[in-house]
Amino acid sequence: MRLLSVLATFSSLLSLSVAQKPHKYHTLVELSNSGKGPKGQILLNDNNYNDLTSAPRNYTAVVLFTAMDQRFGCTLCRDFQPEFDLLGSSWNKQHPKQDGIFFAVLDFSVGKQTFQRLQMSTAPIMMLFPPTTVGSAAEHAPIRYDFNPNDVNAAEAVAHWVSSRTKQTVTIHRPFNYVKFVTMIVGVIGTATMSKLAYPYLAPALYSRNLWAALSLVAVLLFTSGHMFNHIRKVPYTVPGRNGGVSYIAGGFSNQFGLETQIIAVVYAVLAFSSIALCLKMPRMESAGSQKIAVMAWNLVLLVMFSFLMSVFKMKNGGYPFFLPPLIA
Amino acid sequence: MASVKPSFFKDPASTQSIRGILRVVILLTIAAASISSRLFSVIRFESIIHEFDPWFNFRASKYLVKHGFFDFWNWFDDRTWYPLGRVTGGTLYPGLMVTSGAIWHMLRMISLPVDIRNICVLLAPGFSGLTAFATYLFTLEMKDSSAGLLAAAFMGIAPGYISRSVAGSYDNEAIAIFLLMFTFYLWIKAAKLGSAMWGGLCALFYFYMVSAWGGYVFITNLIPLHVFVLILMGRYSGRIYVAYSSWYALGTLASMQVPFVGFLPIRTSEHMAALGIFGLIQLVAFVDYLRGQVPSKQFNTLLRALVILIAVVAFSGLVLLTVTGVIAPWSGRFYSLWDTGYAKIHIPIIASVSEHQPTAWPSFFFDLNFLIWLFPAGVYLCFRQLRDEHVFVVVYSVMASYFSGVMVRLMLTLTPIVCVAAAIAVSAILDTYLEIDSPEEPDPDAAETKKAKKAKESPLPTGGFLSSKAPYIGIYSITSKIAVVGAFSVYLVLFVLHCTWVTSNAYSSPSVVLASRMPDGSQHIIDDFREAYYWLRKNTPYDAKVMSWWDYGYQIGGMADRTTLVDNNTWNNTHIATVGKAMASGEAVSYEILRKHEVDYVLVIFGGLLGYSGDDINKFLWMVRIAEGVWPNEVQERKFFTPRGEYKIDHEATDTMKNSLMYKMSYYNYQNLFPPGQAQDRVRGAKLPAEGPVLHTLDEAFTSENWIVRIYKVKDLDAFGRDHFAARAFEGGKKKTRKGGLAGRAAGKRGRRVVRV
Repeated sequence: MRLLSVLATFSSLLSLSVAQKPHKYHTLVELSNSGKGPKGQILLNDNNYNDLTSAPRNYTAVVLFTAMDQRFGCTLCRDFQPEFDLLGSSWNKQHPKQDGIFFAVLDFSVGKQTFQRLQMSTAPIMMLFPPTTVGSAAEHAPIRYDFNPNDVNAAEAVAHWVSSRTKQTVTIHRPFNYVKFVTMIVGVIGTATMSKLAYPYLAPALYSRNLWAALSLVAVLLFTSGHMFNHIRKVPYTVPGRNGGVSYIAGGFSNQFGLETQIIAVVYAVLAFSSIALCLKMPRMESAGSQKIAVMAWNLVLLVMFSFLMSVFKMKNGGYPFFLPPLIA
Repeated sequence: MASVKPSFFKDPASTQSIRGILRVVILLTIAAASISSRLFSVIRFESIIHEFDPWFNFRASKYLVKHGFFDFWNWFDDRTWYPLGRVTGGTLYPGLMVTSGAIWHMLRMISLPVDIRNICVLLAPGFSGLTAFATYLFTLEMKDSSAGLLAAAFMGIAPGYISRSVAGSYDNEAIAIFLLMFTFYLWIKAAKLGSAMWGGLCALFYFYMVSAWGGYVFITNLIPLHVFVLILMGRYSGRIYVAYSSWYALGTLASMQVPFVGFLPIRTSEHMAALGIFGLIQLVAFVDYLRGQVPSKQFNTLLRALVILIAVVAFSGLVLLTVTGVIAPWSGRFYSLWDTGYAKIHIPIIASVSEHQPTAWPSFFFDLNFLIWLFPAGVYLCFRQLRDEHVFVVVYSVMASYFSGVMVRLMLTLTPIVCVAAAIAVSAILDTYLEIDSPEEPDPDAAETKKAKKAKESPLPTGGFLSSKAPYIGIYSITSKIAVVGAFSVYLVLFVLHCTWVTSNAYSSPSVVLASRMPDGSQHIIDDFREAYYWLRKNTPYDAKVMSWWDYGYQIGGMADRTTLVDNNTWNNTHIATVGKAMASGEAVSYEILRKHEVDYVLVIFGGLLGYSGDDINKFLWMVRIAEGVWPNEVQERKFFTPRGEYKIDHEATDTMKNSLMYKMSYYNYQNLFPPGQAQDRVRGAKLPAEGPVLHTLDEAFTSENWIVRIYKVKDLDAFGRDHFAARAFEGGKKKTRKGGLAGRAAGKRGRRVVRV
């Protein structure tokens, strides 16, 4: 039964397309191969959108509804466009006559009416229109693709999706990226040369204990204040709070904002620095009077900062019973 | 009296024995404190194994003491991963079980027959005392015994370590942190003395560590990194050469004796750094030797070229071997540490485990309190002297901070070094401010001359380190001393209170038994898990197969003693995905999977009645994702979301959701508990549809007191050869429809095929 339907599709596709609607298929092939836009892609507007998707279809049409204009700020559209171009050109390279699959793009700037008619308020949207030559009406309904923003190789994902809904296999041929390759080689050689040239000047810094101490401390402070969490979870820097203010401390124990971690890192740094000052700097002061004042000052800084830290932590973890004067949250 | 007292404290010779006794007493007290602070759960609940993985370790330990070591080594377990089974002896780290087995035998030898369960429950607290001691030894090498004692005390009660070592938490980490610290201590000792004996001892404990925990890779990379940094700093010496070569050669050979590790040390990228440094240090040693023999400058240039050539050839050889597949690339778990987005996209099973999530800053503070800000200060102090062993502390600190930031679980490896560094800082402060004698204030003229002197001797012994350029004088005023010492005493007391509070509130729940408070404040124990597992044990045949999500595999195996399909040892992703598919699909598809795997019972965890948020519906999306990873065409995550992208279980839930086996099993008959139309899910705060789901292929077998555990029996094939949909429709009194509906049609097509199989 299945086999028959497949055969029917192909026969209607190859031979009877002329009989069914003489010019439509050929026009579309020509449009795909025309110089306008990338190879293997039809640039649609309100008029020929209907031609492409109207009822008797003996081909599959994959239509991308997009909004490339800067004004709409659709980053996903712009990220996805080269992938879609690659999809069209890959198919066109192997199938110059398109062989039953068309890739088309409808931009919002030339297809406002269609967008309104289909009640589309977001972009990008991709739809696959199956052929109408076989099967019931329900099977002809366009199928929508779900974009996965995390997908690095979106073209492959779409190709897989299209393949699973047509009887043909769409494969992607990524052109070798010569620019990247050359840039990389030049970069490696450049870095090597630069480091060779700069070595006499950098060597003292490279062997400077202070520099390495500073680097290690910055790394430790960065990591222990939850920077990797921000990096992995991509948390917002701040969030507009109630009454127009800005809230920079996230509620909840396992949640945080970008600014919040920076505050914490600074607090840790101040605390660590005051303890270093207390144990290394203070006993090396020569004047007894100024030493006394300095010790008291650092001691006070330490106390206030730790107290602040405790109160912030109490904000994050409501049930926390401990506090340290003077700041009691 | 006044004249005697200072000399009594000052003279090291006269007080040496007292100091020695004091040290022992303090260490014993610390060990006692660290053990007793881990006993909250035993006192509150009972001597019981916690959580999930410990149940497997417990089961394996029981097997070990019952059947002996060699049977344990060759143990093929046919009661897990049904129908595949698991070569348990070859796929576990045996260190933990062998340790408790040895203790069990030892106690029996001295006529103390203790139940293996009690040994397992109390193993982690016992080892925490040893960890404190190992930390003391390690810090002793860094500074002095007072820092060592402080470090031991911090280590004993730091929640970052307690979280994995309370009584009942019978997991690999229980002994691994002790081994980690002790191996590092031995390494420092070996590198300091350049002794092959200490290197060999280090290798021996490294072997013990390898046999106990997968985290041994941390040691495998940290020691080579230490050596590498030392070489880069121009600090290569014969001592380092002897220590590293003896450790690497012996340790690697020994580690390969563990069946689970086998040839990994020479075949995976994680171990290549150690091998590469081993090669490098031979080269460096060779060059060093030749340099001593041949003074010619040209020859040195030639030699350098030769060394670089060899290094390049070795490196490209390594790359070639990796590309051709002789050396396996990074394993997924390890790789996700570097490329933090990797796991999210490629390995949902890793991303699904909450232990593998990144760490937010409150967790650091929660687990370490004020140690976390003393930590950078301690690292800075290490830079001041920067002997070889201090380089180790610095390298360890930076690496461990990164790893613990990426993965919550690795907080465990950070905690020891935080304790050590913080102890160095605190003890440096106390050293300065607890000095009873105050220096004389120099008169201004003398200060002038001193400054002039200082200007002359510009290359200072500390290597021009910023904060210690001026000469050490001391603290003049007694008030300053009292203020600083007083403040730090308060912080220390606060730390102890914090640790006790955290341990008692956050880390002492067995999670097998839940505790809640009654309105009158008394404690109410919720014991649904054990109730259900006990029901399974008593009411089902011994060879019954129970399907559940993998989280509960070990518990079912340990407590109910029944065969499971998947468990917490997540070695076979496809098999887990199969279970995920069975849970996520409609009954027709699921029944086929259940029949094929001869499943008798299905167990789900449902928290809707009680508000227990760790239930299966909340984990459901992971089941879907993992199943989708294997069958992208049959299970699709987006079908479980409403058009607006929400995960709903009420009347807005998608059809796929409502028809999934998991949904049906969770909410089956649930609406009958409430007045019509009032059924409520307390976890997700949603009202359920008035009409509950209908099950065709399963029978409800057991539901625990608070509905947390629900067990269903898989129906046998119908006696009349009908599919279950038709049978149910017939029993429901409806006239047999022509095809039994859409679902029935699907089942009819597939269900019969199973009969023929």
